[in-house]
Amino acid sequence: MTTAGRYAGRPPMLVTPQGVLRGMREMLPLACFALPFGLAFGAAATERGLAPELATLMSLLVFAGASQFAALELWVEPLPLGALALVVLAVNARHLLLGAALAPWLLPLPPGQRHLVLAFLSDANWAHSRSAFERGARDAGLLLGGGLVMWAFWVAGTAAGGLLGSGLGDLRRFGLDLMMPAFFATMLVGQWRGRADLPPWVVAGAVALAGVWLLPPGWHVIAGGLAGGLAGLLLEARSRGA
Amino acid sequence: MAPELAPMAAVAVMALVTLGTRVGGLWLMRFVPLTPRIEAFLRHLSASVLVALVLPAALTGGTAAWLAIGVAGGLAARRTPILPAMLAGVAAAALWRAAAA
Repeated sequence: MTTAGRYAGRPPMLVTPQGVLRGMREMLPLACFALPFGLAFGAAATERGLAPELATLMSLLVFAGASQFAALELWVEPLPLGALALVVLAVNARHLLLGAALAPWLLPLPPGQRHLVLAFLSDANWAHSRSAFERGARDAGLLLGGGLVMWAFWVAGTAAGGLLGSGLGDLRRFGLDLMMPAFFATMLVGQWRGRADLPPWVVAGAVALAGVWLLPPGWHVIAGGLAGGLAGLLLEARSRGA
Repeated sequence: MAPELAPMAAVAVMALVTLGTRVGGLWLMRFVPLTPRIEAFLRHLSASVLVALVLPAALTGGTAAWLAIGVAGGLAARRTPILPAMLAGVAAAALWRAAAA
């Protein structure tokens, strides 16, 4: 049993090398698809005037594709550090929600392990680990391993793209741009618990779509997520209260 | 700042901001009691984030995106393992684009 009283009744969480390896193995296929996007980013960064080494360093340290592409748009001398920070914050603020959503499983971990596994948080390994935790997995190494393998392919792709140019032409040709949406769709299906889930999902979808038009890039995910979460909470509270 | 250091500083700023977003959400949750209500909120939040990632991609990506998401999601709903479901969705979209081109 766990030590902290608020987690009484939950099996303890842990981080093991086996969990890390399992995360790497299970996310490897998806990580392969991060490679062409890394290539595209490396090529785009070089076109923008970044040295290949710098683009690779950015992927190594930042590891957040959408925000890195957004930063390229602002990459003019003299570099606007404040604007860069704000844009990266805006595009990556959804990580705050992803991390918060893992609280039931990650908060019981010691701070060092907690921060280690979160350092490699991205949408894909979050969706993968969260669904595994919900089905009873207790090894947070899953999140770390999944993140590490995505990170390795993203960095390798960036380095290759910076040196060679993308050379792939249009990623859309092979449907590669749809790999992530297809993956998230399979994860979403796994979240379905019954018709009571429909109203919050509709709220989330409607708010996210409105946000695409009305909000700065990336914020539709935050708005839709919060709105759907609140809708679900209110509906559950009402059905319990009735 | 020396001009050759500015790009490094920019990368460092981007990295720190991003790391802050990665650890910040869970850090904030240290101050929120994990009641059944909060857990219900977090559960709906997770599904809603996925909805918010999928639906705009479908609506802005046209028929190919609908195919990829529909085939992958439909197969997953029929208990197809994730990887084949995902690949079938992407293959359907690629075929559609090849046929439409």
